[in-house]
Amino acid sequence: MAIATHEVSAAPGSRRAGGVLLRKMSVVTAIACGLILMFAAHYWAVNFFVMPELPEGQDAPSALVYLLENRVTLTTMAGWVVGFMLGIGAFNGPVRWFFGKDLSDADLLYQAGKDQGVWRYFRFTTDHKVVGIQYLVITMSLLGCGGTIAMLIRTNLMTPSSSFLGPTAYNTFVGMHGIIMIVATIIMVTGPFGNFILPIMIGARDMAFPRLNALSFWLIASVVPVLLSTPFLGGMPTGWVAYNPLADQAPPGMDAFVMTIIVFAISSAVAGANITTTAVKMRTRGMTWTRTPIFVYGVVASVGLAIPAFPAFMASQVLSGLDRAAGTTFYNPAEGGSGWLYANLFWIMGHPEVYVILIPAVAALLELTPVFCRRPLFSFKAAVVAIAGIVGLSVLVWAHHMYMSGWAPSLGGSFMLTTELISIPTGLLFLVFIGTMWRGRIWTRLPMMAVYAMLWNFVIGGITGVYLSDIPADSAMHGSMFVTAHFHYTLMGAALTGTIGAVIYWFPKMTGRMFDEKIGAWGFWLIQIGFNVTFIGMFTVGFAGQPRRVFNYSEAFAVGNFVSTMGAYTIGIGALIFLGVVIASWRRGIVATANPWGAKTLEWQVPTPVPLENFDVLPVVTSDPYGYGKSDARPPDSPSDRPREGVGV
Amino acid sequence: MRRLVITLVTLVVGVVFVAAVGITVTKANAENQLTVQPALSLGTVDTANGKLPHVVLELSAWPDSRSGCHGQDGGAHPDWVTFCNTTSLSVPAHALVTVRVHQYDAGEKITNAYFAKVHGTADGMAVLNGKSFNEIPPDQVGHTWTLRGIPSPNQDPLFVSVPLQMADEEKVGDNGYPVPNVVEFSFYTGGPGKYFWNCEFPCGDGTYARFGGPMSTQGYMAGELTVV
Amino acid sequence: MSDTALKEEDRTPADAPRWWERGDVRAVFLIWLILSAVGIAFAWVPAWLMGLSASSEMDDVKMTMTWFTAIAMPVGAVIWAVMIYSLWKWRYRGEQPPPDDAPGFQTNPPTVVMWIVISAVLTLFVFAWGLVKIAAISPAMAMTSAATSASSGLRVEVTGNQWAWNFTYPQLGNIQSDVLHIPLGEQTTFAVSSVDVIHSFWIVQMAVKVDANPGAITYLTVTPTKAGTFEVRCAELCGLYHAAMETTSVVSSRKDFDAWVAEMRAVKPVSSMTEGGA
Repeated sequence: MAIATHEVSAAPGSRRAGGVLLRKMSVVTAIACGLILMFAAHYWAVNFFVMPELPEGQDAPSALVYLLENRVTLTTMAGWVVGFMLGIGAFNGPVRWFFGKDLSDADLLYQAGKDQGVWRYFRFTTDHKVVGIQYLVITMSLLGCGGTIAMLIRTNLMTPSSSFLGPTAYNTFVGMHGIIMIVATIIMVTGPFGNFILPIMIGARDMAFPRLNALSFWLIASVVPVLLSTPFLGGMPTGWVAYNPLADQAPPGMDAFVMTIIVFAISSAVAGANITTTAVKMRTRGMTWTRTPIFVYGVVASVGLAIPAFPAFMASQVLSGLDRAAGTTFYNPAEGGSGWLYANLFWIMGHPEVYVILIPAVAALLELTPVFCRRPLFSFKAAVVAIAGIVGLSVLVWAHHMYMSGWAPSLGGSFMLTTELISIPTGLLFLVFIGTMWRGRIWTRLPMMAVYAMLWNFVIGGITGVYLSDIPADSAMHGSMFVTAHFHYTLMGAALTGTIGAVIYWFPKMTGRMFDEKIGAWGFWLIQIGFNVTFIGMFTVGFAGQPRRVFNYSEAFAVGNFVSTMGAYTIGIGALIFLGVVIASWRRGIVATANPWGAKTLEWQVPTPVPLENFDVLPVVTSDPYGYGKSDARPPDSPSDRPREGVGV
Repeated sequence: MRRLVITLVTLVVGVVFVAAVGITVTKANAENQLTVQPALSLGTVDTANGKLPHVVLELSAWPDSRSGCHGQDGGAHPDWVTFCNTTSLSVPAHALVTVRVHQYDAGEKITNAYFAKVHGTADGMAVLNGKSFNEIPPDQVGHTWTLRGIPSPNQDPLFVSVPLQMADEEKVGDNGYPVPNVVEFSFYTGGPGKYFWNCEFPCGDGTYARFGGPMSTQGYMAGELTVV
Repeated sequence: MSDTALKEEDRTPADAPRWWERGDVRAVFLIWLILSAVGIAFAWVPAWLMGLSASSEMDDVKMTMTWFTAIAMPVGAVIWAVMIYSLWKWRYRGEQPPPDDAPGFQTNPPTVVMWIVISAVLTLFVFAWGLVKIAAISPAMAMTSAATSASSGLRVEVTGNQWAWNFTYPQLGNIQSDVLHIPLGEQTTFAVSSVDVIHSFWIVQMAVKVDANPGAITYLTVTPTKAGTFEVRCAELCGLYHAAMETTSVVSSRKDFDAWVAEMRAVKPVSSMTEGGA
């Protein structure tokens, strides 16, 4: 059976022994190829980028020494990435197409993971369910890396004058924690669930571009070792925002950051094009926009927002890389450049990016709240309008990160207005949550408790955001630990909590087993309690005036930091328990039925494990998926999927 | 039951892993591997603040790292300017500390002439090759030695900044380096605390604002001073 | 979802309770009242944590924090009240999914409209508040170089280096210091710049902050209202010793300030190059 999105070439003779190379490629060949090309690139670079011959007695221009060093570093890393992608088989499709030897049906099914068992997760597999699991594993690994680094950071901050990490190591770890968590939180809902669940949820067999799907995952996989090499290359002194001109001064560890962002931006663009096309073009018959689940809206909004935003990030890093390796002066004021150019490019990405992180997680919770309250989603239209409003406004607020920069004081009021306006659509989402809960039958399983935890955390995060949006208040708060606490409340307290809810909710469909909520609840609540202790402690020292990104601090902040560190260790324990329950449930959990939650969206109407092509017959949809509870306007014997409407309190 | 076991095993393995990473990082960190140089005692001295212990710290500043304190072949960055023997210094509390720097490096014009002046020393002066001074020409700066701490309720403030005049490259000594300028200055320490010092003359040639490379690396042009 | 009119027999009966008479609404309202009261009672905490105030800007910020917190508490309390009540009243305990017997209403237009209107009003109030406060501090934020040269008060040039601040007094013989001395009760104008990377000049207890950019000068004014020693910190990560790029600001009476200036000016420069050079 052909996969609907591919047209089989019917040219005679095109079925030659194809796909032989395809069948041999995996992460093993990827690593081998990556290493080979990395050493080759390094060898070439070291011999090509050499100091020119100098007349006797003349010293080498010192700037050139660093330019050459950065060129070698960047070339070596590029060699690894290209080699890795070659070795995983990412270029097989285009190369074969170019030579007119398209893959046969059997090859395509092979590439989709048919009959390969566990090995399909280590290959360039196009099945969206495989890619979803791959994203889930890499997300959890990245969260684990970032979390380990957080434990180191908080250990250093436990006492005011600690020498646990020196300043270089501390600054590097702060930057790495930041970028690892940012990458992880960007992909944490869209990757696993946007890939695994979304196509089934819209009644499709796969995504619009299955090969691009695999490409977006493996690009991230290729660049994780690059990012993790940073501490071994001298570290990075800048924090994850990588402000220039400081980044220009940095050791080669900064090049790892530049390369990571460039590749990650490509991965995100690819994934964004894929998800958007899938959602727009591949919804099954009858699924009009008013019958499309809110989760789809959330994911599409997120990747749609990434499309204008991430190219700005990539541009900022390309220019930074050029300054570091080619001697350009984009960000060097002494030679006509400007640090404000970098700040603008960065924050034009940096602000939409937090909504890229937040919206899918909140949308996942919006998706599961009707299931666990047994009521329709309250005002679906308001939810869609709210998401659209957040997306639209979020591209207009970026300079609230630059209130204190001196860049454009006269625009301060305008950015303050747009920033504060975002609280209106955001507030509307809260109404959708509590309206869905109102008079419902609240099934207090762990996914629903994630909704409660998110609502608590997001109120605090949102309100403290309003404090920061006020320019005079920002004069006190900018660059202090208050900002750090605020964004952890939104990105971790709201978005990560939402993701945990999504993991538990969709666990039965993705793994075939139930997540053990008895033990899992310990992990979940330890994370929540530890989280609130950590960041309320951080608010107190932020109010009191502790700057952020400092490896040592005044004794005046000792108590708040100690409390914060204890909270952080609690989060660590809770997160490890949660990880343990994920592993334990995956291996030994109670086998799940196809629809343990009694939900009405399409992914719960297919069997578990989900067949390779999802549906035997593509479904036809006749109503929205929120038909829970009683309907006053419905005669007693009508079918339960009749289009419904009704108002009431 | 099986799930509980797997969960607890994950927890224990995880804690051990994070602890192992922490221990490895703190031990392997280059900054934690710098040897600490304690000041040498010179007995006690009568000062305006009473009878205090008097100690001396001998340092030297070099145009590259091949003079020996980074290993025979200059260590990881043989071309980097550096202070020797180490940048981790230790002095006693409530003492008079004399710092003697042998300055072997050439220099240039400093960007911020503030650091071409002497600040924070015991008598406001420093001594260059036996002559008292409190400022040097801003275009003859070789390095500076600038010390400060994080203001804190339980730690006495300290701010000391002394310019180290550039050596004359024409006069070459026996070791192949210019004949050094010897700069000596003294300051009083308060109670115990942790302080940070670095050179404020941009000499990280080739990097932006010449403050990258050795300027931003402990062990070369930046270090810590612990008052015990 | 098409709009079909409610049939006669489906309409809400005339003697049904109005929305404010419903038990759920009253209970949530009561919980909301209690939570709001408790929350407002803690509205003073942020300002207390912020510590000493040494300028009218800081006074304003502390007042803003207090008022914003006081207003935010009832807003958050709406959510928390529904959360608490829902867990008490509507909780379903069971292994299987709950039955489908909850009311199936999908929206409530008056509630949605009211919610949007109230959040818009609150937002515009917060925005207006911010504008009013900006007007008090903005003369400095939009200052041009010409305006500051013309201003009559004390002028201090703040230079950020990696990793120390130094202050120059161009009107007072270009004396320089690592500690910021300024007179009590008089307006001081800061011209802030950097010789290397981006720093941020922050006098903590005066709630004044502006970035120190290389290649540009940014301006700030403040009139200290309290004498004492306050903290000056760098608020933008600037490399290795960003954490140590801190100093103090001493606010003293005009008399004491003049005495300090005189002391600084009295220092005779003794160059290392006198008497024939090194």
